[in-house]
Amino acid sequence: MSSFLSQLHFQLSCALQQRIEICKLRQGEHLILGFSIGGGIDQDPGQNPFSEDKSDKGIYVTRVTPGGPAEVAGLMMGDKVMQVNGWDMTMVTHDQARKRLTKKNEDIVRLLVTRKSLEQAVRHSMM
Amino acid sequence: MFCRTQTTRAAIARGSALEMEIRRGKFRRSVFLDTLQDSDIQKKIDHEIRMRDGACKLLAACSQRDQALEAAKSLLTCNTRIMAYMSELQRMKEAQVMQRVARRSDGTRSSDAGPMDDRLPCKGKVAISDLRIPLMWKDTEYFKNKGELHRCAVFCLLQVGGEIHDTDMVMVDRTLTDICFDNTIVFSEASPGFELRVELYSCCSEEDYSAGSAPRKLASKLSSSLGRSAGKKLRVAMDPGACSPTSNAGAATLLLPGPAVAGPKYHLLAHTSLSLSHVQDSFRTHDLSISGNEECSYWVPLYGSVCCRLAAQPHCMTQQMMSGCLKVKQLGGDPPSWTNVYGVLKGTNLFCYHRQEDMEANVEPAFTIAINKETRIRASEKDPHSKAQSICISNQYGGEEVTHTLSADSREETHRWMEAFWQQFCDMSQWKQCCDDLMKIELPSPRKPALVTSKQGSLYHEIVIDTSDDISTVTDILTRRMQELELRSQLGTSPPWMSLFEESPGGPRTPRLARHSPRSPHRLPHSPLSSLRCPWPGLLSSDASLTSDSDSPCSTSPCSRHRGWAEPLSLSSPRFRPRTLSLDAKLSTLRGRGYGGVLQCSCQPPSSSSLAPIPAQCVPQATLSCSSSTSSNSSSEGSHSPSSLDGTPFSRPSSARRSLRNLRAKLDPRNWLQSQV
Repeated sequence: MSSFLSQLHFQLSCALQQRIEICKLRQGEHLILGFSIGGGIDQDPGQNPFSEDKSDKGIYVTRVTPGGPAEVAGLMMGDKVMQVNGWDMTMVTHDQARKRLTKKNEDIVRLLVTRKSLEQAVRHSMM
Repeated sequence: MFCRTQTTRAAIARGSALEMEIRRGKFRRSVFLDTLQDSDIQKKIDHEIRMRDGACKLLAACSQRDQALEAAKSLLTCNTRIMAYMSELQRMKEAQVMQRVARRSDGTRSSDAGPMDDRLPCKGKVAISDLRIPLMWKDTEYFKNKGELHRCAVFCLLQVGGEIHDTDMVMVDRTLTDICFDNTIVFSEASPGFELRVELYSCCSEEDYSAGSAPRKLASKLSSSLGRSAGKKLRVAMDPGACSPTSNAGAATLLLPGPAVAGPKYHLLAHTSLSLSHVQDSFRTHDLSISGNEECSYWVPLYGSVCCRLAAQPHCMTQQMMSGCLKVKQLGGDPPSWTNVYGVLKGTNLFCYHRQEDMEANVEPAFTIAINKETRIRASEKDPHSKAQSICISNQYGGEEVTHTLSADSREETHRWMEAFWQQFCDMSQWKQCCDDLMKIELPSPRKPALVTSKQGSLYHEIVIDTSDDISTVTDILTRRMQELELRSQLGTSPPWMSLFEESPGGPRTPRLARHSPRSPHRLPHSPLSSLRCPWPGLLSSDASLTSDSDSPCSTSPCSRHRGWAEPLSLSSPRFRPRTLSLDAKLSTLRGRGYGGVLQCSCQPPSSSSLAPIPAQCVPQATLSCSSSTSSNSSSEGSHSPSSLDGTPFSRPSSARRSLRNLRAKLDPRNWLQSQV
């Protein structure tokens, strides 16, 4: 059984692409999304705990505030953010990424994220 | 049935002689109208042809690549417009012919009556803005440091029906991650079924001018007047059902009567179509259909989507659709009492004012009745007390149903109001989400002169941010500047007002300076430096207001983005105080305007009355052309100079130091930063 699962693990480690729409929450002066990001082309990719490929300089979700707008919308820790409202996030600096998420004139951000959920599910089941 | 487009209101028996007469009258009128519309379009076509000839001449004459690209862009736009107008003309002529044929034959009354029965929804304004097209450069492309930059010139062509607009041209190379078009484009008369075609054209910026692809023979044939075969080809090409006028830019230019020009040629890179379903009050991403591939010279790696804000304002939301005197029945009470109001139907509301004058004076209406998708309106039976029918408007407020009963002065008035309400419902059903709330459309501002970013003498470009960046780097650069300026002042002749800053008390002194003179002696050893340094906080504060007040462009070249402040050292005149102001302007853009606000509180406010003689001399040549408010602001700098600190170049609030620390942390490659959003 475990060999079958390990076979599954190698063959089906596909990345799931998901579109997530987050409505920003207003807290006083700020519009918050309720998650944290890490990564960027100006950051050291070797320190990214979520990436499979340690040379991946993309933007990853490092934390999701429980009960926040991001969690409600279905964002998960470890997701890699590919696009935000049409802006590419695979080749941006950390600050550029933060800015694109926190534009004051946008109430809703639409993210395109990839998630290695199937692989994770298999891993969890094997543990 | 009552129809918006019909001018007659009275109900006429179908098939009566009167109806026939009216139809004949309309027919004659419509023929006249058509001819007017025809000539209108003809005029537009002539205008575009003239523009096109101009663009061709410019293209042939210009030597610089940029100019050629711009001219080629205008050429493409003109061609597209001509095609669109010609196809419209074609359609109109065909419609006329069809109408005449239909009228000549018998038994066409029913088909004629058809369009008159339908209600046409109102038109509206459609605006598209903030177009952004993300790019997807390959890893290797992005980090390539050597090799020349592969650049392309791109622009967008936007078309709604016969209206075609183009955006500004943007040069794209691998340092750009997105193509941004800042233009806001407004189409004024769009129907709810509009189709906004967005086309992205690009042209490689490196090829030299090769002759057009059209062979010589064909070119000469086309440049002659529209012959029979050429005309047929044109008509086929312009069949509106078959293809868009710009679906194949290469072929379109072949078929168009006109000289084939040498020069850069734009190719269609991507296109998409937007319609009412894409209209929303916020930014949305849409997919792009990309034509072309990596092998093409004009290829730009697109991510595949375009992000923009598409807003629509139907006329029913912005204009008064109906207004007149009404009587509103007071709820409850028997016998019913009626209040006279002046009603205005606009958007999703019926505003009732006490008097007409109130509406013109923008006074709040007495009350407002909502007219939206949930409202139900019906004409009730004749009230025994009044002669006319009354109109009942029912709305659901919360869980309750509230009914307002209105009555007009006469039967005709009631009919007109009912018709207006039906029209409103028609518009709302056609324009759907645009009628929920009024979407804001910013009118495109008058075109500002192109911002020239001159790379010489700009402090911003001199500052290199590296990990050891510190305020010391900035200070060093500024100190160097001061030394340069000092040198210059020694070489050049100093104008009388220079004495404000110089050690020699020989110059004219103003009452203001005299007040601060006890302080100035201890500044003497570093007078030019310190007094030049010290004005900065004050300059920083006033700069914020300076740049906002001075609207007139710089009279000396180069025209920098600081609207009237010349480059620091490029002014040949020996006036040096203005240079510090402009340095300051650069600093303030660097550090942000919030700065200026903080510092202003700590300085004394200027007493402008006593400083009146100075500003006229203080202000440099360039800024003399600016508004007088600028002059008074520059005087405030003079007042601030003595009151600020001596040692440090500028007094900075601690928040700036914090941000520098953050900057250092961000730039340290050993970190893997996480940010909360």
